[in-house]
Amino acid sequence: MIYLGIILGSLLGVVIGVNAPIISYTYSSYLAIAIIAALDSVFGGISSVLKKNFDLKIFLSGFFCNAILSILLTYLGQKLNVDIYLAAIVVFVGRMFTNLTIIRRYYVEKWSKKVQEVNKK
Amino acid sequence: MDGKKKGKVVMAISIGISCFALTMVMSMQFKVVDQTDITSIENMRESELRAELSNWKDKYEDVNTRYEEVDKTIKEYKNQEKSDNEKSKLLQAELSQINLELGKTDVTGEGITITLKETNNTDTAITADDLLVIVNSLKLAGAEAISINEERVINTTDIVEINNTFIKVNGQRILSPYIIKAIGEQTYLESSLLGNGGYVDELKKNGYEVTIEKNSKINIKKYEDELKSKYMQ
Repeated sequence: MIYLGIILGSLLGVVIGVNAPIISYTYSSYLAIAIIAALDSVFGGISSVLKKNFDLKIFLSGFFCNAILSILLTYLGQKLNVDIYLAAIVVFVGRMFTNLTIIRRYYVEKWSKKVQEVNKK
Repeated sequence: MDGKKKGKVVMAISIGISCFALTMVMSMQFKVVDQTDITSIENMRESELRAELSNWKDKYEDVNTRYEEVDKTIKEYKNQEKSDNEKSKLLQAELSQINLELGKTDVTGEGITITLKETNNTDTAITADDLLVIVNSLKLAGAEAISINEERVINTTDIVEINNTFIKVNGQRILSPYIIKAIGEQTYLESSLLGNGGYVDELKKNGYEVTIEKNSKINIKKYEDELKSKYMQ
């Protein structure tokens, strides 16, 4: 059921996004930072699922709030002539890598456990 | 059990919504990046672009003002050309008038034709002096164009007698009968030759045959040679 939601939502999003009108290049940096923030939330969500402490409220609030906040920060940085979005990218991408590491470790451990079990037999 | 299922549905829907938002924004961004010429504006900020835009606007205005100036000068030149054209027309008219008066063109007009001829009663031939007197009388009477045997009389015309045997006009030998054509007021021309003390009368008395013919349309040919000036400046 969850996978159905993911697939349906993704397909719908791609269709609408492709057909949507082009936004000005000026605002595409905001969109980019929002995407990075959202992706970070997604990986964080996956790793929390694997850790078995996933909370939907935290996931959703992190997903949207991070995106909006990063947009606001980027805007503020542009007004202050400071590249705040660089800091945001560093933080989000760093977190993404840690989460990816957690995911990778989980699956590697699972796999090696399986191999051990097979060897025992 | 029921609550668990409900929670699962809510979770599926909310994750679906977030996936929807994420993929939509991502595909929009992909499209923008794909369709924008990033290489040219890669390192430019909005402010720089604005500055460049205003720069181009300034340039455009500059060029526009220059264009207007050039347009103005072109118009002025055109006007001048027009006036030059008028001037050249005037000059052309003047030139043709001068040519007319100099005798470089064929002319027609009202005037008289005088024919001089020796007869058997005369002892001497007609001399250049006779012709000169007649031409001078005609000039006095306001003749505008004169020719002797189709030789146009202009300001440098010579009428001379060579060795008392023949007469030269414009360096050309002419023979009797002498036909003098003159354009001008007919009665003036005629009366200058006839009447009391008129030279034609005298010639007639001396036995020459002289006829004067009035004509409303006389053709006088142009001076054939070139007008040359070598010494005067």
